[in-house]
Amino acid sequence: MKRIIHFGVLLLVAMLLSSCGYNSLQTQEETVFKAWADIESTLQRRADLIPNLVATVKGYATHEQETLQKVIEARAKATSIQLSPADLSNPAAMQQLQASQGALSSALSRLMVVVEQYPDLKANQNFLDLQNQLEGTENRINVARQRYNEAVEMFNGSIRKFPASLTNKFLLHLVKKEYFKAEETAKAVPKVTF
Amino acid sequence: MRNTLLTKRLVGLFLALSLIFLGTRPVPALEVPPLKGRVNDYAGILAPATARQLEAVLQNFETEESTQIVLLTVPSLDGASLEDFSLRVVEKWKPGQNKLDNGALLLIAKNDRKLRIEVGYGLEGKLTDLVSGRIIRDIITPRFKEGNFDQGVIDGISAMMAVVKGEFATTDSNRRQNRSGDPGAMLIFFLVIFSVLGRILARTPWLAAGVGAVFAPVFGALALSLGGLMLLALALLGFIGGLIAARMANATGVSSHGYWGGSGGFSSGSSGGFGGFSGGGGSFGGGGASGGW
Repeated sequence: MKRIIHFGVLLLVAMLLSSCGYNSLQTQEETVFKAWADIESTLQRRADLIPNLVATVKGYATHEQETLQKVIEARAKATSIQLSPADLSNPAAMQQLQASQGALSSALSRLMVVVEQYPDLKANQNFLDLQNQLEGTENRINVARQRYNEAVEMFNGSIRKFPASLTNKFLLHLVKKEYFKAEETAKAVPKVTF
Repeated sequence: MRNTLLTKRLVGLFLALSLIFLGTRPVPALEVPPLKGRVNDYAGILAPATARQLEAVLQNFETEESTQIVLLTVPSLDGASLEDFSLRVVEKWKPGQNKLDNGALLLIAKNDRKLRIEVGYGLEGKLTDLVSGRIIRDIITPRFKEGNFDQGVIDGISAMMAVVKGEFATTDSNRRQNRSGDPGAMLIFFLVIFSVLGRILARTPWLAAGVGAVFAPVFGALALSLGGLMLLALALLGFIGGLIAARMANATGVSSHGYWGGSGGFSSGSSGGFGGFSGGGGSFGGGGASGGW
């Protein structure tokens, strides 16, 4: 019986030591960084698909130079903005990245609507494959964003909760991270006038 | 009289608490149905013989390759997005072996006339978005357009199996590493430390407390690279810990009992196969393709 109490007390002390959050806060921050790396790799994946897509569409949709040009420009702008881990706590940097990626999303979805007018293109195997890859990538971006935001929510909550908040205040000095929101323009259905 | 009042209050408290918990639970638009087996034909589009045959083929495939492919058909998505629902399904069912992530789902929404192949991380190399898209476009949907669900599903699953065949062998799943949990390791470490301290200094509690007070901050500075205020706190904690350990050891007469007995592996993710079927713990990141007919 006494051994059980003994054991219980030891357990309590051990739990107290591990509940100050010193380790868990850092683990959670790493989770945020890892989730962000996943977002970046999916965004890169999308950027890599675009030259191929543009080349394929160009052969068929000869009257859509302007739309294609917009996609190319938006891609160039989006790939020029990269965030370092420290930037994840910087609202302005995050805002900039969201805006550029959102602009690329809307340019792409406009292109996909426009190509609906070209039956030859829509029957092209290469184009259909690219379309699948693009959709798959957009879906991955969504999933990665959702997981990143969950990780951020967890982390931001943790650094404010007692007693981990004290550990952070005096020892770790970790800063709250920014969410990666979906751009409103990306969600809106593009209008096309014929 | 007082008793009933207390009971009433307790009941009230309980109700209030349960309301809070109910209130915070978000209700998803479309529930993920329970996993019945490898073939989950909730829409009833397959002939019973086909379903049995598929179940056997997929079970055999898992025995050989450890890869888990699961089929789900639903009557309707009830307005939910196909991709969202699909991801929720695999996050709940977790097909594929833990760490190998070699799972895939074929999801068919009958009335929406939509389908999706959801691919686990481990299979993304072979069953790419492109390949999944071709399977849907060239193999499954032509059959579905004819109304031949049985053949479409059989051909589709066969194509998925052919693509990922040889990617994993059953032995891979035995090589899964056991993760040594961080809290578990910490716990064992502290148990050892306190036990040893208590054993040595059982007869002299104050000395034990002193040793604890010195040892804890030194340990904190060296092992956890702590500093400042935290060391002070650790010193206090070590003091108390030493005192407790000594008192306890004295009281019980424990001298050399170890508590670090059963620290076996934390095994997770059994692959079923005997009797009930369950997902092995695979992860998904949104890979795959969607289509319609």
